[in-house]
Amino acid sequence: MADALTGAPAPTQEANRDSHRIRGALAATEIDLRLFGMLIALAGILFGFHIMSGGKLVQPANMVTLVVQASGVAIMATGMVLIIVSRNIDLSVGSIVGVVAMSYALLMTDWLPALGIGLDSPLQWLVALAIGLGIGALIGGFQGFLIAYVGIPSFIVTLGGLLSLRGSVWLLSSGAAVSGLQTEFRKIGGGVLGSIGETATWAVAGVACIAIIGLIVYNRRQRRRFGFPVRPMWAEVLLGAIGCAAAIGLSAFANSSYLPAGLATQYAVEHGITEPPGGLKVPLGFPWPILLVIGVTLAMTFLATRRRFGRYVYAYGGNPDAAELAGINTRWTIMKTFILMGVLCAIAAAIGSARLNGATLDVGQSDELYVIAAAVVGGTSFAGGIGTIPGAVLGAFVMQSLAYGLSFNGVNSPTQNVVAGIVLIIAVGLDTYNRRRGSTR
Amino acid sequence: MVPRRFAATLGAAAILLAACTSASPGASEEPGESAAASAAADCTVAVSWNNFQQPRWAAKDKPNIQETVEAGGGTYIDADANLDTVQQLTDVESLIGQGADVLILLAQDTAGVGPALETAANAGVPVIAYDRLIEDPSVLYITFDNVGVGRAEAEAMFEAVPSGNYVLIKGDPGDPNASTFLPSGWDEAGLQDKIDSGEITIVDDQFTDAWSTQTAQDNMEAIIDSANADGVEIDAVLAENDSTALGVVAALQAKGYDPIPVSGQDGDTANLQNVAKGLQYVDVWKDANELGKVAGAAALALCAGTDMASLTIPDGLINDDVAPTAGLTAAEFTTPGPDGEPDSGDESVVTSFILQPQPITAENLDLILDSGWLTKDVLCEGVDAASAPAACQ
Amino acid sequence: MSEAATATTERVPLVEMRNIRVAFGGVHAVDDVSIDLNAGEVVGLVGGNGAGKSTLMRALSGAHRADSGEILIGGQPRTISNPRDAKAFNIETIYQQLALADNVDAPANVFLGREMISHLGNLDDGAMEDACRKVMGRLNPNFKRFATPVKTLSGGQRQAVAIARAVYFNARIMIMDEPTAALGPAETAQVRDLIRQLKTEGIGIFLISHDIHDVFDLSDRISVMYHGRLVGTMNKDDVDTDDVLAMIILGKKPEEASREELAELKI
Repeated sequence: MADALTGAPAPTQEANRDSHRIRGALAATEIDLRLFGMLIALAGILFGFHIMSGGKLVQPANMVTLVVQASGVAIMATGMVLIIVSRNIDLSVGSIVGVVAMSYALLMTDWLPALGIGLDSPLQWLVALAIGLGIGALIGGFQGFLIAYVGIPSFIVTLGGLLSLRGSVWLLSSGAAVSGLQTEFRKIGGGVLGSIGETATWAVAGVACIAIIGLIVYNRRQRRRFGFPVRPMWAEVLLGAIGCAAAIGLSAFANSSYLPAGLATQYAVEHGITEPPGGLKVPLGFPWPILLVIGVTLAMTFLATRRRFGRYVYAYGGNPDAAELAGINTRWTIMKTFILMGVLCAIAAAIGSARLNGATLDVGQSDELYVIAAAVVGGTSFAGGIGTIPGAVLGAFVMQSLAYGLSFNGVNSPTQNVVAGIVLIIAVGLDTYNRRRGSTR
Repeated sequence: MVPRRFAATLGAAAILLAACTSASPGASEEPGESAAASAAADCTVAVSWNNFQQPRWAAKDKPNIQETVEAGGGTYIDADANLDTVQQLTDVESLIGQGADVLILLAQDTAGVGPALETAANAGVPVIAYDRLIEDPSVLYITFDNVGVGRAEAEAMFEAVPSGNYVLIKGDPGDPNASTFLPSGWDEAGLQDKIDSGEITIVDDQFTDAWSTQTAQDNMEAIIDSANADGVEIDAVLAENDSTALGVVAALQAKGYDPIPVSGQDGDTANLQNVAKGLQYVDVWKDANELGKVAGAAALALCAGTDMASLTIPDGLINDDVAPTAGLTAAEFTTPGPDGEPDSGDESVVTSFILQPQPITAENLDLILDSGWLTKDVLCEGVDAASAPAACQ
Repeated sequence: MSEAATATTERVPLVEMRNIRVAFGGVHAVDDVSIDLNAGEVVGLVGGNGAGKSTLMRALSGAHRADSGEILIGGQPRTISNPRDAKAFNIETIYQQLALADNVDAPANVFLGREMISHLGNLDDGAMEDACRKVMGRLNPNFKRFATPVKTLSGGQRQAVAIARAVYFNARIMIMDEPTAALGPAETAQVRDLIRQLKTEGIGIFLISHDIHDVFDLSDRISVMYHGRLVGTMNKDDVDTDDVLAMIILGKKPEEASREELAELKI
């Protein structure tokens, strides 16, 4: 899996025995040490802000907000990994989000009603979503074509895209914000109306748990089939237990964020429930953007590690000539990464415009910077060939937890930017240092 | 920042399909009375716009100036500098070369526009600083009262929520409007006094980079979470403009907050719709139609040789609600000077017409319809019939 | 000395390249060269820098298209316009710059472009690793590092991975461009053994090398190129290293060279 690509460092000989034993145990579980380190860093950041806020930050409702705010960037970062791994860059993602978000808004308020599909037609949002995803794929595909087949550097093509697409947003809407989307569509953006509720959340936990165990059993069986060495049994059980506990824990966490009191009263009235003293507690569960992030992360990881396309992307990034000489259709592979990026931008645009209940001229502005930062903080290297999807998603959460934590503690946005910039440099600096140390050994 | 000029020139053509461009809301304006009939016949009024990116200039200001000028027998010419200071200097020279008698200038850079003023002075062409102040005693300054916008926002909000927990959402920290003028308007309306007396508590006070709606939404969500964690209920949000107000409203909805009063300014369509729906309490509106008429009339009068100090706005040209507090005759306006600080010794005095902004709430939305700013279809789209304000019934 | 070893038998050569020309902007990198290769034979291809050896071979491996001339594979005229075509004719190339994707592991490199997939179209990493272990077991029994990126492997191990790729896919014609140039003595010996083993399996090999000892040690026939032209192809047993060196430097067969020229070389 991914760990084969990032290359966990080999244990040092001079390390003392205790750390040796811990490393040995970690190696036996085949956990990706980089990801593990990032999780620790993320926890550290949140804990720091938690203390700073007087113990108020880490609560279900707040964490849900944080993840929802990071969701768009996280989703796009999964695509940016493949783009950077294959030695390209996409500067146009923020502008693609802008164009697609404005398209959703105009489709729902203007274009589709003109075709007789009004805001009251139940499937309007699906039609709009499908068209939006198509627009994203088209824009990505067109840029990808110019890059892969015409041979214009991706930096130039997507810089052009950044400018011209942002201008297109203005032209599309004649410079005005558009609001008033379909209620069903707005659920994509999360919030109190866009969460799946208690039961469905437990169901998600159950499915995840079964899937994790199933995957572990399947992998073990596969390795047995060929007589390869397998993980020690304790490691398998531990991994399964951790995975399951995480799924159940996260679900329980999500289910302990509740509908606001006012809406809960309304809910009680609608469902004929008498409100208990102290108010009715209606668990919200997972909001849709979080499920989208999880879904996209899984799908993209699968694509990157279990499909030829992903293998080719990484091989091309490692050695473009070797990939070409191996008979890989490298141009089509590159073009596909950009199509995929366009589609992911369209998903992010759906979340963004649904959250806003419309689109403004600046939706997605500067997103390219956060997306690239997330990928890079997540361990993607500009030298090509190196980077993981889960790493980039974690990177997005790290960046957003900084912004949210500072904002939560009342720190002004210029200061937030200063901190975000410094963290970006430190994160990449540490990573470069680690890699260099790893490679000279 | 990205040079928007490129964005405009490259345009949608390269990447977006032409099919996607929507019909522009072509609300054509009728500029009330035809002004200053006495003006000279051969008067050429030139306008140098700094941009047409913001839709208001082409949609509201330009037609009103043009129709006022042409109704008075003058000729209208203009140029668009596309957010480029140097381009604007070239535009001014070319406009004067085309025989301009009066120059109306929407300055891209109020400091960098100096050479254009010199060109105009050499040619004996009087200059009207339109909407944006130019620090030069020779100009006629026509604008809305910008400090007054902040004052109007706060006054309206204090009427709705005289005391309680306020959140302040400001615009870009680099923009003096966000950091200085609007907040001082809030204080003129008594914000600081109410804070000092304990009537109002500030829950949080945040700037919004680039006035971005998304950033405003993210910040507001964090503020709500933080307030919830503290058990604090937010009673009102003073947002400086409409783009930030839009983000605030989205955050309140996402968090399931009961609608609370939110302020804004600009008269953006989405925000006026929110006013109609009861999601935004007040939108301070600067009717650009009126500003254009005043500029057109003043230009014609300058053409006819009227002295700047004795200019008057023709009776009945503009709506009484927006008429300057100083009356219809040009008044003196003391500028803050290049350093932006009042009373620092570098101020200058210019002749001016300072129009009054109008706070729009659900009560007086009919003003928006009457002026033709928005049509009823657009303004009342999606408004629940049961709770619709008078203007939407 | 006879022209070439056409007298062997009547069997059809694996490869015949006839009158191949490749030009780069007016310069003839390969000028009217004809060459052939039989099963189980190693043909050494030698010449100075820029003699056109690699360019000629690139025309066969599909990395570069010939401007004119004919390529016959097993007696049939064929068009080779890209690496995929070449692979379809069981032509495999081991490059001078080791053409491996450094960041992925050995099985991924062996199967690059021709991955094994399950019935759902997913990569079957298990099967690929298994097959890779079997092939590598033949070529380099000590090799154990199947799960690390190949950039962490030694030069010899990497060359073994490259050769494993060719062997696994039933290469019948193998092009080796300086296969030992990046290797130390022990690893070079390893690769030489590999080449001998491939030969016994009936694979035809074009061997490009600067190392005249390599060439004499491994080749059955030796073709010398000079400034894009083919100077001549000789049976190894009919010549010695001095003859070949003279051909490389002078661009003439020994019998065509003047005494003075030969004398100059001996100094």
